[in-house]
Amino acid sequence: MDDTLYREELMEVYKNTSNRGRLTDPSIEIMQKNPMCGDEIVLQLKLSDTNPRVIEDAKFDGVACAVSVISSSYLLDALKGKSIEEAKNMTKEQLLEMLNLNLTTSRVKCATLVLDALKNAIDQYEQR
Amino acid sequence: MLKTDLIKSDCPILKREAKNHPLVYLDNAATSQKPRQVIEAIADYYANHNANVHRGLHTLSEEATEMYEDARRVVAGFIGATDLSEVIFTTGTTESLNRVAFTWALFNLQEGDSILLTDIEHHSNLIPWQIVAKQTGAKLEYIEIGSDDTGNIILEKFKDKLSSLSGKVKLVCFSQASNVLGTILPVKEISKAAHAVGALVCIDGAQAVPHIPVNVQSLDCDFYAFSGHKMLGPTGIGVLWARKNLLESMEPFIYGGGMIDVVTLNDSTWAVLPEKLEAGTPHIAGAIGLSRAVKYLRNLDMKNIREHEVIMNTYALNKLSTIEGLKILGPADAQERTGLIAFSVDGIHSHDLAAVLDTVGVAVRSGHHCCMPLHKKLNISSSTRASFYIYNNTDDIDRLVEGIQKAIKILGKNKLKNLEY
Ligand SMILES: Cc1ncc(COP(=O)(O)O)c(C=O)c1O
Repeated sequence: MDDTLYREELMEVYKNTSNRGRLTDPSIEIMQKNPMCGDEIVLQLKLSDTNPRVIEDAKFDGVACAVSVISSSYLLDALKGKSIEEAKNMTKEQLLEMLNLNLTTSRVKCATLVLDALKNAIDQYEQR
Repeated sequence: MLKTDLIKSDCPILKREAKNHPLVYLDNAATSQKPRQVIEAIADYYANHNANVHRGLHTLSEEATEMYEDARRVVAGFIGATDLSEVIFTTGTTESLNRVAFTWALFNLQEGDSILLTDIEHHSNLIPWQIVAKQTGAKLEYIEIGSDDTGNIILEKFKDKLSSLSGKVKLVCFSQASNVLGTILPVKEISKAAHAVGALVCIDGAQAVPHIPVNVQSLDCDFYAFSGHKMLGPTGIGVLWARKNLLESMEPFIYGGGMIDVVTLNDSTWAVLPEKLEAGTPHIAGAIGLSRAVKYLRNLDMKNIREHEVIMNTYALNKLSTIEGLKILGPADAQERTGLIAFSVDGIHSHDLAAVLDTVGVAVRSGHHCCMPLHKKLNISSSTRASFYIYNNTDDIDRLVEGIQKAIKILGKNKLKNLEY
């Protein structure tokens, strides 16, 4: 990886993203692990009562590296206001494009941890 | 004292750059780099002697067989094995341990028996035993090893556990040197205690053979496993040493050519050791490369290598302990550990630390190092590990320290916290 990941504006996201933390009343909550590195994050989504349901708010928390934190923060920004259906259709490629970082194979997994969490969260929600 | 500059110049890869900086390779516990002598020995075999072993009467086959069996002699001598047929070439530590699990333990353990391990084992010395336990009904028992425990404390824990499990323990398995804490365990003393209650001892020597003098006779263990690639040799070759009576009692792990005595359409009998346990065309070039690596290490003398690592440890422990927020895992005494130091830095994820170090050409490992249970116990998700070998010097440690300081400056402190669950 080159130095661009650790450039200032991204470090600002990494250190201070407001998407990190906990919701008081989440509709969905899921824990996702990356067995490669032992990282784990919690993803929480707050859904509207409307039809279709819309993601009103989202937060993540946990132990994660800069790639994972920045990626989570970007994804959560993009999710807010989207319907469940739209969220489900988010792809890995879209996320990586949003990030626009030159990631090596092993770190792509860090970036997509939050996306895996999102997919599992929605699956779990739909099975309820 | 090792002449690290000379050794460095023997390893072609150490001349290269990474990210426009001279490479500082500190990931030796994962795999070591290779001196040109080893690379050339492998090339020479393929260029001048290549043939299958034990199968042809032609010149090349005789030469290849002689070279392969000579490799066994060299390796046997290096670990103090007195009988050549006790040295079985495998693909590495993982396979060697699996062989003990599935061709000895599976046939010799039953319900009511226990396998005694420590809670800091590499997954390779844990998962095979979990499977054996499931299949035989034997129980897994663990010695809990604290991050700063040293030899004598650990020995006492083994003695206590062995006596409290009175007679149940049939096999004791542990790594002679931990790949995360660096801790060196007193194999000889633990073996004595284990034998006293009728248990056999299986040692994971992956992190020991490359770093400290090892003599399987004086360690008095029963099985010993290690890999070639962590000790200057090629990947894909390793060793299982075991007492001859045990190897004789063991079924082959794989079956096929090269391991038989008589074959009929309905039945077969096995060749004598070591062929019985080496079915198929072996990794001839690998054995030859490993043998050349052993000669290289022998020329340096393992005592000097050990001395060098203690010097490196002392220097690194000193330097690292001045960094605020950096926590060193493992014993504080440089003498109690092999040449590796794993650490965590407050508020910085090990991946980010390793990635920033990579931007200045310093290669370290980050993650759980195949020791998830240990990291969970230490309440960290991962750690960063710098591991030294014969070509590293104190300048390399200075570069490491500068890199860590750079990472702290860029990443600062973040609110990493372990999740409650
Ligand atoms: C303590 C320990 N045991 C076992 C292994 C497995 O070795 P290999 O991957 O060469 O089979 C390693 C190396 O990663 C190790 O450090």
